[in-house]
Amino acid sequence: MGILETTAGKVLSSYSVFLFLTVLAQAAVRRFSTSVFLFGLQSAIIAIQVAVIGYHEKLVEAYIVAALIVVLKVLGIPYAFFRLIEKLHAPREVKTSTSAAESVFIAVGIICLSYAAVRSYASGVQAPEDGLAASVALILTGAFLMVSRKRALMQMIGLLVLENGIFLAALTTTFGMPLVIEIGIFFDVLMGLFLMGLFVFRIRDTFDHMDVSKLRKLRG
Amino acid sequence: MKIALGILQMVLLVMGAPLLRGIVGRLKALLQRRQGASVWRPYSDLWKLLHKEDLTPPSASFVFGLAPLLVFAASILVTAFIPLLADSALLGSAGDFILMVYLLAFGRFFLALGGIDGGSAFGGMGASREVLVSCLAEAPLLLGLVAVAIQSSSVSIVGMAGWALGQSFFNISAVHLLAFLALAIVALAETGRMPVDNPTTHLELTMIHEGMVLEYSGPNLALIEWASAIKLSAIIGLLIAIFAPWGMAVASSPAGIGLALVVLLAKTFAILVALAVIESAIAKLRMYAVPDFLGVAAAISTLAVILTALMKR
Repeated sequence: MGILETTAGKVLSSYSVFLFLTVLAQAAVRRFSTSVFLFGLQSAIIAIQVAVIGYHEKLVEAYIVAALIVVLKVLGIPYAFFRLIEKLHAPREVKTSTSAAESVFIAVGIICLSYAAVRSYASGVQAPEDGLAASVALILTGAFLMVSRKRALMQMIGLLVLENGIFLAALTTTFGMPLVIEIGIFFDVLMGLFLMGLFVFRIRDTFDHMDVSKLRKLRG
Repeated sequence: MKIALGILQMVLLVMGAPLLRGIVGRLKALLQRRQGASVWRPYSDLWKLLHKEDLTPPSASFVFGLAPLLVFAASILVTAFIPLLADSALLGSAGDFILMVYLLAFGRFFLALGGIDGGSAFGGMGASREVLVSCLAEAPLLLGLVAVAIQSSSVSIVGMAGWALGQSFFNISAVHLLAFLALAIVALAETGRMPVDNPTTHLELTMIHEGMVLEYSGPNLALIEWASAIKLSAIIGLLIAIFAPWGMAVASSPAGIGLALVVLLAKTFAILVALAVIESAIAKLRMYAVPDFLGVAAAISTLAVILTALMKR
């Protein structure tokens, strides 16, 4: 029992560190499959945190949410992405408009910015500052990935990272929303992914590539 | 007792350095399903070189002969700052981490001078590359150490190790994690290992270290090779001392020091395995991609320094 308590405490105090690491790594990676793997890792960290909060607050619903995250975001979405890569014969490399070092520097700036952004808010409510900063950093990094990556597939990853950040923000401020809403959000994410997958296929079929920086002309 | 311990640590780092090279080579061979040379081969290489004739190019000046001695002396001096078995070192209180970093830079500076002084085209090329890599690696190295220094409020390596010893392993601090990542990347660059430089060949146009030492032979070459092996062992010792010192002897009793030695050997072996895996799994970067690689380290170490102020623990 004692060991479980301590582990739970440690997870709550240090999960934001690992989330920051995934943010930095996400900015540095050059290969699409690594990026997908990192997204799965990020979701796994969040799932562990949800489970720990459930243990702390004695909420059975939290366990269900954690299981849903594992099924959907840790296993399901990465699997779907790998299938998608196979089907599209997409190049493995991530095309970026900033170099790896520049991206990591921007990610560092984002992390500092998110600390600055949540500082005044975190002192007002009962929320851990590091956790809030991590969630804001995830949201901003997701947006940054969507802007700076050139292939349509990476923009899907960016959107999912952003969604992870929003989920984490809700989790750290309210200790989780009602189960019905959570399930609704998961369903939204899934549908969004389907639609984006369809779009990627359409883009590939119409333009023979997925480089969104070259999508300048309208085609019927 | 303390002085004897300090000297023992230096002897371990200096005399054990070629063995580390041998072990990495053997591990890499095993990973690539080759038989590989004996782990003691670097010693016999050094022995052979020490008994060979020393050839100096006719165009070389006195710097050519002086450089290996200074390089070797600088790297031996660096080992005097690193605590291995207990949280003390021979020069532990005499200098801080900045002195240690610039002793490393001093050695590198004279190595580059010697490379240029040899007069061959490869020497100049290798030297210019080495200087580029080292000036890119210097910022993350210093910043990473500064982050740890702020966290432990101590400027000496011994003080940092002592502070980390007092912490529990499970109190993961973001500062340490990020500083470790940055310093690990820097260590690969500083010791001329795989993604930056290929240590096993002098048959490539992309070589850095081997290009510089191409004109050296005999005892001079032995000194340079030994010095670069010491650099590897010193940096491994530094990483262990700052980030994972648990197991060091607190009281300097023979039993405690014996135990510390066993733990140290285990940790060193773990790092060597990681190094061999990295070197076998990753291809060498193009020279133009190296600044990007080290830029990532610079960014990470900058964040580590900033987080010392942001994260309160």
